Amino acid sequence: MRSPDVIAVRRTPLKPLLAKELRGILNGRALWTMLLIMCPIVGFSFFQAISLYGEASASASDQAALASGLSPLDGILVPTFGAFYVTVTLLFPFVAIRALGREKETGTLRLLVQLPYRTSTLIVAKAAAIAGAWLIALIPAISALLFWRLLGGHLHALETLNLLLGHLLYGLLIGAVALFAAAITESSATAAIVTLAVTIGSWILDFALAGQPGLAEWVSRLSLTQTLRPFEQGLFSLGLVLGGLATIVGLAELATLWLHPGVPPRAKLVRSLVCAAITGALVLLVAQLRITIDVTEDRRNSFPAADQRALAALREPLVITVHLAPEDPRYVDLRRNVLSKLERVLPNVTIHLVASQSFIGRSSDDSYGEIEYAYAGRTDKSRSTSHREILPLLYGLARVPPPTPIAGEDYPGYPLVTNAALVLPWFFGALPLLIALAWWWSRRAPRTGLPTCQGGES
Amino acid sequence: MVREVVALDLVVEHAPPLLRVTGLTKRYGEQKALAAVSFSVHSGEVLGLIGPNGAGKTTLLEALAGLVPVEAGELMWRGAPSRSAERREIMFYLPDGLRPWEDELVVRVLTFFATVHGRTQREVAETVNAVGLALVLRKRVHTLSKGFAQRLMLALALLTPQPLLLMDEPFDGFDLRQTRDVMGLVRRVASSGRTLVLAIHQLADAERVCDRFVLLADGAVRGTGTLEELRAQTKLLSASLEDIFLALT
Repeated sequence: MRSPDVIAVRRTPLKPLLAKELRGILNGRALWTMLLIMCPIVGFSFFQAISLYGEASASASDQAALASGLSPLDGILVPTFGAFYVTVTLLFPFVAIRALGREKETGTLRLLVQLPYRTSTLIVAKAAAIAGAWLIALIPAISALLFWRLLGGHLHALETLNLLLGHLLYGLLIGAVALFAAAITESSATAAIVTLAVTIGSWILDFALAGQPGLAEWVSRLSLTQTLRPFEQGLFSLGLVLGGLATIVGLAELATLWLHPGVPPRAKLVRSLVCAAITGALVLLVAQLRITIDVTEDRRNSFPAADQRALAALREPLVITVHLAPEDPRYVDLRRNVLSKLERVLPNVTIHLVASQSFIGRSSDDSYGEIEYAYAGRTDKSRSTSHREILPLLYGLARVPPPTPIAGEDYPGYPLVTNAALVLPWFFGALPLLIALAWWWSRRAPRTGLPTCQGGES
Repeated sequence: MVREVVALDLVVEHAPPLLRVTGLTKRYGEQKALAAVSFSVHSGEVLGLIGPNGAGKTTLLEALAGLVPVEAGELMWRGAPSRSAERREIMFYLPDGLRPWEDELVVRVLTFFATVHGRTQREVAETVNAVGLALVLRKRVHTLSKGFAQRLMLALALLTPQPLLLMDEPFDGFDLRQTRDVMGLVRRVASSGRTLVLAIHQLADAERVCDRFVLLADGAVRGTGTLEELRAQTKLLSASLEDIFLALT
């Protein structure tokens, strides 16, 4: 027997804890079941995307204008990862909850919290295991990308990485919600209900409230699904990434506060309120960051390069007054085609939305539909939602000549007509089989140098 | 089993207690689970928390380990106050009937605990031999019988370095012969210098393995001391622990 001493505060290795957490997820059925379900869902979406992209490509083969509209980001990546997103939304919570839920249900948590790790370290290890599980869950979608390349498809590195980053952020958000739910509830089933209420509630917010004016519009922005939108549009938004990370860290901190059974519930509640307030303030703060980068190859979120340079040189404040209701399709067009691009390129731009009521009741108002631009003491009006009309108007206000277009910057488009015959056998047969084999392999007993005999249970 | 009662009495008389518990109180709603529980634990002894089911033994152990918040009470470790968050540095609590990480292989659970606590492969092998786990190392925890699950928990406790071990019903799931073996192991652990607090509801088992006793009923301490001291308190000079318990509760 070993001599007893009070444990000195020492550095306990993290590696065994991380390995245990990852094995905990790999040992369960949830991850493997999700992977097996994900294969046909992602595979079928990918197959359909290739088919539709091929049909569009066939008609664009001899027309450059049509070909330039064929981007793999819209045609292949977003639909394929859309299927991945659906599966992650509905099934990933069950994988993430397992990281903590099983230990709570079986009482093993009482052993875990006695180990020489900080509670926050335990949660970080679990979050790392959840991130590892998300990476494993990515296998079907990544195999789709490899398939696309093998078929001769084009992938733009920045667009693809940005989309992956968006899905990583979304996956970690789901994981953090699940971890927090597992920390505050006593059973995995209850944690699953709480997490699905958040994820499916996000969908409802998205469908029911998006585009609605006022408070409904603000509430719809709380949807987790909104996190993905800019990434799918090829935008890297620093504020969104930092806001997402702050939310993930905040949820992980809340899970840490609720993990230890020895802390009185009142103390947990008070600390949680403080943590939620700090997290909320941080999210609001980083939401003010308006740094976004257009990472698309076709520069869809930016004006032509010559205009970008000319507009970036305008230093005076630009004030835009829009007489449109937010749910008016013209306002949606204007925001997408002009306003959001101006916000990114101009150093000082302010947008006032004057009509806040429903556009249906405004039809008799003569000024409804007008957009007023004020720059350097001069004003002008327009009803157009196209940058081709609005940019010359702005150059006129700024008294600068319109820039000469830069030749050779047109996006060529990447049409591809290909035979996707092997896609379905891969996603419906070979890949599930490989996953099943990996599942079996992960459950093998390791070799051990410890004394062991063949035998059974007593 | 050799019991060095006389030597231990000398130690108890002169050394300050390893752990002193004063006024520990815990309520679940209106029900009082622990009613101002006070007692001491001395270094190197095996202390039995004795009481029927529902007496508050498990709550007391979890409160000592800092795993259950309490309304009142104080713990002094070697004469200094011990905060709840610091308990894991001085004591390790082994819950009753637990199958830790039940989807994991036994060998992996042992290796995890050993690595975390800086134990060598040789020490793990010694522990495996000491508790008789070699047969089931490559089995998953959920497939173990109750006896082997209990051995695994014992092995985990032996791999921890804390000077005080709190064990809830450590003999549950063992047959007569196995119980005697585990009692022998418990005595060897105590003779190596570790201190053990065992919650036991089988009074005959407690009488055979413990040096001193804390008798609990309805969350309150009804008596403390060695068997001889309890006999003297109750004036039942040749009584068994069972007779004494019935007399005091």
